[in-house]
Amino acid sequence: MKVIEINKLNKIYNESEVKVHAVNNVTFDIEEGEFTAIVGPSGSGKTTLLNMIGGLDIPTSGEVMVGGSLMSSLKGADLTDFRLHNIGFVFQAYNLIPVLSAKENTEFVMRLQGKSKKVCDARTKELLKAVGLGERMNARPAKLSGGQQQRVAVARALASKPKFVLADEPTANLDSKSTETLLDIMEKLNREENITFIFSTHDARVVKKARRVITLEDGKILSDVRKNGGE
Amino acid sequence: MKDLISIAWRNIWRNKRRTAITIASIFFAVFFALIMRSMQLGTYGHMIDQSIEKFSGYLQVQNPEYFDDPSLDNYLDYSGELIQTIQQTEGISIAVPRIEAFVLASSGHQSKGVMVTGIDPVQELQVSNPEHLLVKYRLTPEIVTKIMHETTFDKKQIELLKFNETGLYHNLDRLALDLGLKPEDFEKYHPVFETHASYSGQYLKPDDDGVLVSSRLANYLQVDVGDSIILMGQGKFGATAAGIFPVKGLVKILSPDLDNKLVYMALPLAQDFLNMPNNLTCLVMNLTNNDQLIEVQKRLTSNLDPNKFVVKNWKEINPILEQQIQSDNKSGQMFLGILYFIIFFGIIGTVLMMIAERKREFGVMVAIGMRKSKLILILVIEMLFIGIIGTALGMMAVAPLVYYYNFHPYRFTGEMAKMYEDMGMDALMPAAGFDAYFAWQALIILLMVFLACYIPLRRIRKMKVMNALRA
Repeated sequence: MKVIEINKLNKIYNESEVKVHAVNNVTFDIEEGEFTAIVGPSGSGKTTLLNMIGGLDIPTSGEVMVGGSLMSSLKGADLTDFRLHNIGFVFQAYNLIPVLSAKENTEFVMRLQGKSKKVCDARTKELLKAVGLGERMNARPAKLSGGQQQRVAVARALASKPKFVLADEPTANLDSKSTETLLDIMEKLNREENITFIFSTHDARVVKKARRVITLEDGKILSDVRKNGGE
Repeated sequence: MKDLISIAWRNIWRNKRRTAITIASIFFAVFFALIMRSMQLGTYGHMIDQSIEKFSGYLQVQNPEYFDDPSLDNYLDYSGELIQTIQQTEGISIAVPRIEAFVLASSGHQSKGVMVTGIDPVQELQVSNPEHLLVKYRLTPEIVTKIMHETTFDKKQIELLKFNETGLYHNLDRLALDLGLKPEDFEKYHPVFETHASYSGQYLKPDDDGVLVSSRLANYLQVDVGDSIILMGQGKFGATAAGIFPVKGLVKILSPDLDNKLVYMALPLAQDFLNMPNNLTCLVMNLTNNDQLIEVQKRLTSNLDPNKFVVKNWKEINPILEQQIQSDNKSGQMFLGILYFIIFFGIIGTVLMMIAERKREFGVMVAIGMRKSKLILILVIEMLFIGIIGTALGMMAVAPLVYYYNFHPYRFTGEMAKMYEDMGMDALMPAAGFDAYFAWQALIILLMVFLACYIPLRRIRKMKVMNALRA
């Protein structure tokens, strides 16, 4: 079942005198439960594409349908609410809230959704144990290593059981061991909870784990490979 | 909401130094604003107490013509019906009868226009209390010389004795204060002052045929207790008013204007002297609650015959005092405004810094699903915390001072005291008690916090998530 449909998507930046075509007429679909990596060199448009799927950036033209909703039709608080209930984000720089502990960061989205303390507690403990931070639940981000922070970020993204997780270069600042652990966690959660994962990355280790790899270059799709099927 | 409050509380301590500086600026603004306002309001209260409650009263019943033409012909009948109506009007604590007339006073070769005030000596104790104003101790250069011969004083005390060598005092406490004598030392000096400086004035009796003369007037007429003064003028309907009256005592009145012209006499004597049997020029009233001035005035007016009586409030009777207070109040408020204006920009600066340094974090919060309205709420709560802490600390610090100076007004001594008294003011600076002005400061700070949040919070509302995430 198609859960994300991207149709003739374009993003042109006019920040300088030279126009930059960051995403150029891109069309593809994502099926439910896919574990997809969008790869390509720096400046190929991976992050821009991911941001437009997540409703953080506005396309110059074209359409993005996520879970049956046309993203361009959602504005302001409606768009924020849509992200809150459907999309989990993992950022390259972790972006945890510094004044909250690992546990509080993880349950933050659930609290925004209005879930009860009991539900939040149970889910947070489960996730933080799953990412190997069961013993560091009360530590604030400043007391955690980069790898640990990114694991908290993954736990936060998954805590509310979103339909989609968009991860922008989640392993860029991690060492090999942390990367391996993180990917295993995400793969496990993808299988167990059928969450659709989309990564932007140029990390070969992520590509290796992905079951579908879309390669971008100069904003265009160069290839789209499903490892268990054809192109 | 609990989560937002918790985040806001933790956020304000992320940059402890900045928070501390902002809180300190609010603390000092509240502290100085409150102490200044308290002293200002306390002084106004004292001025009103001295001039209004202790002299002209908060309300006066007069003949309708008297206010514009204060002639004895526009008199008031002092009837039982009038007294009963006043007694039945809620909010009036006391009403005392008065006759005020202007006549010529003379003694020896000196003469002067004076104001004769006929009072009920017993009832008047509860209003102007002339007995309290009686001069009971007096210093003269001769008395000072005698005292200095009999007792030893230090250099400063000698200077103060010479400075006050013509001083008149209602009591020994004030004399001791003016001479810089501590209460514990004063026991030593007490007998010598009692022996040499005592002054033998007496208060009026209801049927007294003597008068009390204000101290500056007595000095001008060169009369003392036991001497007599001649009063001569016009009574009601042009009747000749003339008489010779023994001086029973001197009264020292703070207002130099009144102290230069006042003669107190018992009401029956004044009525007889001025041909006003059973007549008054006014009835002076004080209130149970001074804040209800206008309500009580309206109530009493509606109870009285408008053809015979008019009720005037102190602001109408003494517009100069009202204007003086208003203009001083305005300048005080302007100063407070400037103080708050400076603090206002300090708060704006803090909010702008908070937003600038957390722009990326705000972007992340909105990206993962926090509505901007909640983000704005967090910032407002943060600023409220800072405002409330600063205001509460300022109030807590100032409260003991206000409490102390409310019950123990600061009293000026020496030249400063003289200066105050020459202006007709008691040389006291009391603090006003805890009242609505305390709550006003808190409200002003909260209002400033909300105003200071407006511009920065607009920025959040217009914030583009992508730009914030790139910050």
